[in-house]
Amino acid sequence: MSRLLLAILLTIWLAQPGLARTLEIEVHGMTCAFCVDSLQRSFNKNQLVKKVDVSLEQKKVRLVTDGDLPSEETIRKMILDAGFTPTRITVLPDSVDQ
Amino acid sequence: MGLRSLVALPVDKGGTVVRFTLQSTEEEERDAFITSAAYGISANQTLLLGLPYRIEPADEDRTGDLLVLYRHIVWRKDYLEGTDRLGLLLGTLLPSQSENDSAVQAGLVFTHFKNRNEIDGDLVYRFGNDDRRDSARYDLSWQYRLGPARRPAWGLAPELNSVLELNGRWQQDEEVVHQATVGLQWIHPRLVLEGGIVRDISNGDETLILLSTRLHF
Repeated sequence: MSRLLLAILLTIWLAQPGLARTLEIEVHGMTCAFCVDSLQRSFNKNQLVKKVDVSLEQKKVRLVTDGDLPSEETIRKMILDAGFTPTRITVLPDSVDQ
Repeated sequence: MGLRSLVALPVDKGGTVVRFTLQSTEEEERDAFITSAAYGISANQTLLLGLPYRIEPADEDRTGDLLVLYRHIVWRKDYLEGTDRLGLLLGTLLPSQSENDSAVQAGLVFTHFKNRNEIDGDLVYRFGNDDRRDSARYDLSWQYRLGPARRPAWGLAPELNSVLELNGRWQQDEEVVHQATVGLQWIHPRLVLEGGIVRDISNGDETLILLSTRLHF
C-alpha cells in the first residue's frame, strides 16, 4: 500500500510543470527596435533563458528561465556587449510555468 | 541613424549590419548602387566599409574606391530616455583602379537620442595622397518617430521615422555644396527600409533620390 502511495506521489511530482523564474533588468540607452533586436537574440542563445521580452517603453528586459538563473555578471556583460548599460536587476517572485 | 551616413549606426559586439543603397540623379543620369557594412568588434569599436558601384554611365570603371573606417566610441552616456555618444573615426580610401590615389581620413561622430528624437552629426576630413584632392563632408540628421506615438508595453513593433538632414560636401579648390535631405524610415527589428530626396541648396543644382535597406545579422 505504501509503495502504491509512493508511486502515485512520485507520478504527481513528476507531472508538475517546472518552476520558472523571471528576471527583470532595467537597461539604459535602449533606443530603436533595430538596435535592440541584437540584445533579444543574444539572450535567446543563452541555454538558461527560455523566453525574452523587451520593453522599449519601460526600458526593461524580462528573462524567463526554467529555474537556474544566468549569473549577474553574464547578464551585465551581454547587455554591455549589445551596446547598452544595465542598471537594476530584479528577480521577480517565483511562478509556476504553465 | 540618418540617410546619408553610416557612421552613427549602433552595432553590437559580433553583429553585422549591411546597407544597400540605390542613388539616382535625374539631371545627369548618374545612378549608383552602394553597399555598406558595419561590423561590431566590441560595443565601442566598429569597422565600417563602403563600396560604390556605378550603374550609369555604364563605362568600364564602374567599381568605386573602397571606404574603410574604424569607429571608436570614446564617450557614452546612457540614461533611461536615451543615449549620448561621441565617436572618433579613422580610416582610408582604397582605390579600385591603379590610376586612382588613396586617401587617409579622420573625423568624429556624435549621437543624441532621447525619447522620439534622434540627432546625429558627423564630420570627416579626407587627406588625399598624390593627385587626390583633399575633401570633407558633414552630415547633421534629425530623425523623429512619427509612430507609434506610444510603444507597446512589451515587444518590438515596427516604427516610422521622418528624417531631415543638412549635409555638406567639399573638395579642395571648390566651394562647399550644402544639401538638404528629406526622407522616411520604416524600422522593423531586423530590417530598415528608407528613402529620401537630396537637394543642393548652395553651389549646386542637383537633386538626388535615395532608396536603401538595412539588414541586421
